[in-house]
Amino acid sequence: MLIVAILVIPLAMTIVAASFAWRPWIGWASASSCAAFLGLGIWLSVTTLSAPQWALHHSFRADSLSAFMVVVIGTVSLLATLFTPRTMGQEIASGVTTARYARHYVVLMQVFITCMLTAVLTANLGVLWVSIEATTIATTFLVSHRRTDGAFEASWKYVILCSVGIALAFLGTVLIYYAQLHAGGTVHSSSLDWTSVMSVAHHLDPNVTRLAFALLVVGYGTKVGLVPMHSWLPDAHSQAPAPVSALMSGVLLTVAFYGLLRFRAVAVAALGPAFPRALLLVVGVASLLLATLMLIAQRDLKRMLAYSSIEHMGLLAIGGAVGTPLAIAAVLLHILGHGITKAVLFLSSGEIYHLEGTTEIAKISGLLARRPTLAGIFGFGLLSLVALPPFSLFVSELTMARAEVDAGLWWVVAISLVCLSVIFAALTRHARHMLMGAGPGDATPSTLRASVAVPLITALVICVALGIVSWPLQSLLTHAAQGVMP
Amino acid sequence: MNATYISALELAAGAVLLSAVMTLWRRSVRSIVSMLSLQGISLSAVAIVLALHEHEHALLVTGCLVFVVKGLVVPALLRRVSRLDPRSRESRPLVNVPASLVFAAVLIVLAYVVGTRITALSATSATHLAPLGLATVLVGYFMLVTRRRAVSKIVGLILVDNGIALVTFLLTSGVPLIVELGSSLDVLLVVVVLQFLMVSMRHHSDTDRLTEMKALHD
Amino acid sequence: MMATTASVSVSVYEGAATLIQLVLVALGGPLLVGLMAKVKARAEGRVGAPIVQPLRDLRKLLTKERLHARHASVVLPLAPMVILASSVMAVAISPLVSTHPLLGSSADILVIVYLLLTGSAAAALAGLDAGTAFGGMGSSRAMTIGALAEPALLVAVIALSIQSGTSNLPGIMVSTLAHPDWVLGPSRLLALGALLIVVIAETGRIPVDNPSTHLELTMVHEAMILEYAGPELALVSLGEAMRLGLLFSLLANLFVPWGIATHPTAASIVLGTAFLALKAVLVALGVALIEVRSAKLRLFRLPELLAGGFVLSVLAVVTGLVTR
Repeated sequence: MLIVAILVIPLAMTIVAASFAWRPWIGWASASSCAAFLGLGIWLSVTTLSAPQWALHHSFRADSLSAFMVVVIGTVSLLATLFTPRTMGQEIASGVTTARYARHYVVLMQVFITCMLTAVLTANLGVLWVSIEATTIATTFLVSHRRTDGAFEASWKYVILCSVGIALAFLGTVLIYYAQLHAGGTVHSSSLDWTSVMSVAHHLDPNVTRLAFALLVVGYGTKVGLVPMHSWLPDAHSQAPAPVSALMSGVLLTVAFYGLLRFRAVAVAALGPAFPRALLLVVGVASLLLATLMLIAQRDLKRMLAYSSIEHMGLLAIGGAVGTPLAIAAVLLHILGHGITKAVLFLSSGEIYHLEGTTEIAKISGLLARRPTLAGIFGFGLLSLVALPPFSLFVSELTMARAEVDAGLWWVVAISLVCLSVIFAALTRHARHMLMGAGPGDATPSTLRASVAVPLITALVICVALGIVSWPLQSLLTHAAQGVMP
Repeated sequence: MNATYISALELAAGAVLLSAVMTLWRRSVRSIVSMLSLQGISLSAVAIVLALHEHEHALLVTGCLVFVVKGLVVPALLRRVSRLDPRSRESRPLVNVPASLVFAAVLIVLAYVVGTRITALSATSATHLAPLGLATVLVGYFMLVTRRRAVSKIVGLILVDNGIALVTFLLTSGVPLIVELGSSLDVLLVVVVLQFLMVSMRHHSDTDRLTEMKALHD
Repeated sequence: MMATTASVSVSVYEGAATLIQLVLVALGGPLLVGLMAKVKARAEGRVGAPIVQPLRDLRKLLTKERLHARHASVVLPLAPMVILASSVMAVAISPLVSTHPLLGSSADILVIVYLLLTGSAAAALAGLDAGTAFGGMGSSRAMTIGALAEPALLVAVIALSIQSGTSNLPGIMVSTLAHPDWVLGPSRLLALGALLIVVIAETGRIPVDNPSTHLELTMVHEAMILEYAGPELALVSLGEAMRLGLLFSLLANLFVPWGIATHPTAASIVLGTAFLALKAVLVALGVALIEVRSAKLRLFRLPELLAGGFVLSVLAVVTGLVTR
């Protein structure tokens, strides 16, 4: 019942947004719908601690992992939709877009959010695929929202690369289905439900499962933004409007990663931990290394944030590769922390773009002197991103390192530490350029509007809180990690 | 009855791969789109033959859906898109046509080698044809990577999707209907999206420069 | 005693069949060339030369004077004999009228291909030997086409042999006779497409090469034999015509072998001869129609066509492997 309510709310909001012409109240309404299903999600995570919930004749299933993902989606969507009225108003005022396209924007955002919720709440691996594919289609139009040359090129690249990746993921899903049909040497009727696949996972043919898992890593890995399938990410995340980038970087990547986690459980049950670990380590370490290299000489603010997303997805993949309950719990905490932090950063970068007129790092300076609140938010966001204490990303990365040491992966810890240090230096350098100094003399100091500052500061405070006390989430995270153990 | 079922299945599956190779061979967009139409029709024939043999109604519905979407609608959309682009011949592929054909031959052999490892699991006459679907996927991927024109890239994407659909039908006699519905609709929507992007891009500026994807970089 | 009589009568039968198919191809090859020219002329609205014209040309050429280029070596007068000899040998060992020609056990596709290749190599060397620019140009073009067409030919016959279990040509025909349902299989159809492209390339017809052109831009085969006159030209023309007849007959027999003589009786040989003639004429008509409807490809587009033939033959092999 709870599950149905969580899904119906954004669906209803879609219909509302589609029926009325664009007005700011629609933006506020979408934000409140996100707050509503966030609340229901928190309630759901409490109920799933005892047992997984089912809905609609077993077509939807929520265990702790799904409930946690609903909470993540809810938090980041709330942040993003709170900025919708302001972003749309700014864009209409500056002539970048019209009321008609603003309406499309809101409808597509709600469709996007609905599809992500469906992906984490469905019991069926096929429906998981369909919803992730649907998010690709919805976000293509969102990326090209500004209708500039750069936006069109980014959305073209995005839809081509992600469609190919998703098609390969479909092939992987079909192969798992095929392996299940013939599991244990007998033919029996099968379904694509994750639970029924897991029940026969130990009997799946190793050859087929190996190929299937490799295809799934490549396929869903494209949507996660893992190297070498990442080339759409910097373009798409830098050309989209700020709330869309926040949502995509914050949650869409991790919803695709959630799909990978589910399939990883199947693969480990069928093949043992070695092959999935090796595969995920390769893509994870490669993503980390590439992101480190690209961040050093980065010139655009939003592309910098996009490459940082690739770095964090690499860290998630490494954590997923380790695969122990501690590692998975750390991964989930990291998902939440990264989602909130990235959303704050992208939204404040949207503000910076609106105030300064550019996202080039070289042309932005003296933010601390001229716009102190915004600079403070951005600065603290960056500190959170590079995983300094007391932010929650520090806790999650430390726990992941501990899990890697427990598993004997010393070399991975060493590489990660080196990369994270380099990234810390690179981001600090970029931040110093933007925040310090006097800035262009003509700009007058201004204060940030409360409607902008309050949500962002609250989000950062939540990150700190999660870093200091983990008790609200501890049982949820451990329970969720147990859910994907074979 | 069984022999005609097997030969019909083999003919249809072979036609899917043959039309994939022909799209790599031909240069004019009109003949490429006709090949795609042929491929969609052969794909639906595979589904329908399998459905009739195993008496599965869901698969029959899927076959008719595939016929309409991939055999009729998608080629019609592509023809409309290509009419917007006045230069309708692929003139500068990254790999020239004879070399691409030889490369395609290599990919087909590779697909056979990989595919036989999968079909070892269940040895029916339908699953034995699965390497043909894998070969179509590889040929489509190759076309996506080595062709410069936007329409050629879309064709490559459709080939990948069709190849995967063929593998699905042959290995598992179709996945549950809801998934199949989603998959077909997805192909349709992707083509619609790409067409929309091409129209929007054309109103804006030079389409080729955008689809060569060189402007945004670090 | 019975065994030796039987083996003697079998070898008489084999010898008779071989002799008959040699005569048939020697006479019929030029007739097929004339037939194709007639069909093309009619399609273009002309009356055209009579079908027996190539035979008349051969007789006329035999009475003319021999002429050699000043700087030619021994290759120039030897090559026509090699060309004719290789064609005769290839025809002698191929299963055209019956499935048991003389030396039929060695009628592997590789042997026949290499015999034909000997003829092509001799022609190419002769083109170079005369020392003219046209000759060298024609030789290099012809060798390029040959180099691209040979792999397609071999792989296509491999596709056929996968299904039949033997690469012996008579063996392939016998197994196809035993399994009529194989004819419309995808592997066979793809191999047919590939072999059609190869046959058109090897016999030098449009769209690969125009047999009636003498323009520098377009001629391939004609350039190689430009220096020949008189009896030597007759030998070369006969060799080429027999090669054309052989390739058409093989193409027909590999895919539609009905009518070929399988038993050592006189009636079956007569029937085999009649069916061979009929099938060769049908193939020639088909190729002539293709010639009428297509234009000659530009030289640098030829690798596309031949690579396409190669891919078709690889497709035939893979399809044959998965449908086994």
